Amino acid sequence: MNRFAVAALLLPLAAAAGDILINTTDGAFQVTGWKASAEPAAGWSSVFRVYAGAGDIPAMLGAYTVERSVLTFRPRWPLTPGMHVRAVFHLPGQAPVEAAFDTPKSASAAATRVDHIFPSTDILPSNTLKLYIYFSAAMRRGEAWQHIRLLDSQGVAVKLPFLEIDQELWDPANTRLTVLFDPGRIKRGLLPLRESGPNIEEGRRYTLVIGHDWLDANGTPLAADFTKPFRVVEAERAPVEPAQWRISPPRAGTADALIVDFPRPLDYALLQRAIAVDGVKGKVEVARGETQWRFTPEAPWKQSDYRLTVNTTLEDLAGNRVGRAFDVDKFQEVTTQIQTETVSIPFRIGNQ
Amino acid sequence: MNTRNIFRFAAGLSGTAILALCASSNLQTGKADLKSAGALAFGPDNILFVGDTPSATIWALDVQDRASSKSGGSIEIKGVNEKIAALLGTAPDQILINDTAVNPVSKNIYMSVSRGRGPDATAVILRVDAAGKISAVALDNIAHSSVKFVDPPAASTNGRQVETVTAIAYIDGNVIVAGLSNEEFSSTLRSIPFPFNGAVKGAGIQIYHGSHGRFETAAPVRTFIPYEIDHQKAILAAYTCTPLVKIQVSQLKPGAKVEGTTIAELGAGNRPIDMMVYEKDGKHFILMANSSRGVMKLNAENLESYKAITAHTEATGVPYETISALKDVQRLKKYDDGTALLLQGTAGSMDLRTIALP
Repeated sequence: MNRFAVAALLLPLAAAAGDILINTTDGAFQVTGWKASAEPAAGWSSVFRVYAGAGDIPAMLGAYTVERSVLTFRPRWPLTPGMHVRAVFHLPGQAPVEAAFDTPKSASAAATRVDHIFPSTDILPSNTLKLYIYFSAAMRRGEAWQHIRLLDSQGVAVKLPFLEIDQELWDPANTRLTVLFDPGRIKRGLLPLRESGPNIEEGRRYTLVIGHDWLDANGTPLAADFTKPFRVVEAERAPVEPAQWRISPPRAGTADALIVDFPRPLDYALLQRAIAVDGVKGKVEVARGETQWRFTPEAPWKQSDYRLTVNTTLEDLAGNRVGRAFDVDKFQEVTTQIQTETVSIPFRIGNQ
Repeated sequence: MNTRNIFRFAAGLSGTAILALCASSNLQTGKADLKSAGALAFGPDNILFVGDTPSATIWALDVQDRASSKSGGSIEIKGVNEKIAALLGTAPDQILINDTAVNPVSKNIYMSVSRGRGPDATAVILRVDAAGKISAVALDNIAHSSVKFVDPPAASTNGRQVETVTAIAYIDGNVIVAGLSNEEFSSTLRSIPFPFNGAVKGAGIQIYHGSHGRFETAAPVRTFIPYEIDHQKAILAAYTCTPLVKIQVSQLKPGAKVEGTTIAELGAGNRPIDMMVYEKDGKHFILMANSSRGVMKLNAENLESYKAITAHTEATGVPYETISALKDVQRLKKYDDGTALLLQGTAGSMDLRTIALP
């Protein structure tokens, strides 16, 4: 950015008296009309300080240099748009010279929206554990819980249905937020479940509302509210059982998708990575309300025996894993308790 | 190295030299390229551990802060978020204060801060001295070491899988890390030997919670603290499903499956935020900041004698009282033997202050 452009961006609000002036160029602040020589014993910050804002605040962090006898302060980080900045040059025994600048506000139109919410189905078990909210652009951290509401069929907000974690479980790009329903109201035998009942009740209808006043990473609100209506069915308490999956192998010589159908929806995010065809590269798609996993190989299938490897971390909508239910009832006969990290399902690709 | 060897080795060195040797092993001076600064904890010889979620890394920073102070006196910084924002050249709504830690030797306070709230936010570590002066810890040239606690996600995951570090602590040569996955309802505590050895990521400890001896879940730990009472080393941990449990440190072995012993069960809507253990008038107490019950003071005396909660009762384990004067406590740390450090307030304006332990 050239000097002229930055000078135009930072608008001086007040000029100093006398010959000494404070200017800003390229995001730095200079004292002109005064010849800087030896640094004061207490450092340059004892005579020249730049403040981001007003009131009882410390001066901004940054570095001082003297360039051609001009004292210059460079903030440690580029100034945030929309800031009111005050620079004060104060030599001992003299009147202070002060200048104020406003950095331009970023003015971007509201365009970020919620793209998807998973599970995509509108029928959820009453012990649903997780939601994924996908945004079209990066969002701002630290305010999620103000903007996610769950309304009952009367439009009344359900009290604290989600585990409001300070850290907020974002992906690295801040475009996907993982929301956990309060596990204390899912897990059987706990006080929160007894006191407040389940987060969502079987037989009832709810609407998840994402408020448009949630700010994206640029500080701009969402383009619109997003709503997801759903109804609630019986809790799902059984482990995920790969033995119940239906595998539809394509024909050898084609690069058609291998299709695996599940008897109930599984976790969208985990389906992207928890199932693989041993030794075959390809592309994963999740379809039909997360009841279908499709794998398209990079190279045509050979007439051969193949193996599907399933990571036991794969969960359904209620956090039941492969071979292990979310909350295992130790009073009941435990029929399947898989301890391994993966299970394998063989299948054959033939010419028919 | 067995005890006898340590003794022989130590015979030729002063105590200070041994400390320096311990702390400096594997530390390299240079830029500590933190992507994010989250959970904080102090370790041996004033090493500050920092949880860096986006890069799945635990950093050990030598913050060069060894001047001993028995007590830092009292701290009261009103609008600390506004002051930090000004220092960082930004607006208060553009920063997040992620955690605080007190250097047990110098009593200086450290804060992990995000400058910016989007994916490009900058990680900042700040130091607050006894006079309340806030300064930045220079990360460009600092003695440090680090360990990646999980491998970077494979390309097939679209890079979305993250394990968020929610709490860390140093216990007996290991950094214990609690993490929450953004995809699996996993329950892994990690135990990473320190000094870090790049190849040793630390094995996971599977943590389970059995409610009333019947329903058992893999239960993520949301926050925990180490404590030692009557020569028993343990951690107090709060699960995401709210029970407060104790786990003996001796059980925290890599690869182990551990079930915490429930000592208190908190009701619906409670969100344990931070905890500390202290001693007053010869008795031990736990102070816990909680989202809906404010600050709770639990009697930790004879913690071992409280029977695990195994049946439905209205009494919920260890007795407690609510300190009604303390509202909106976001962080709660031990400052010195008689004082706690609070980060208190709402997102609009937050204060950093010390209070006498109740």
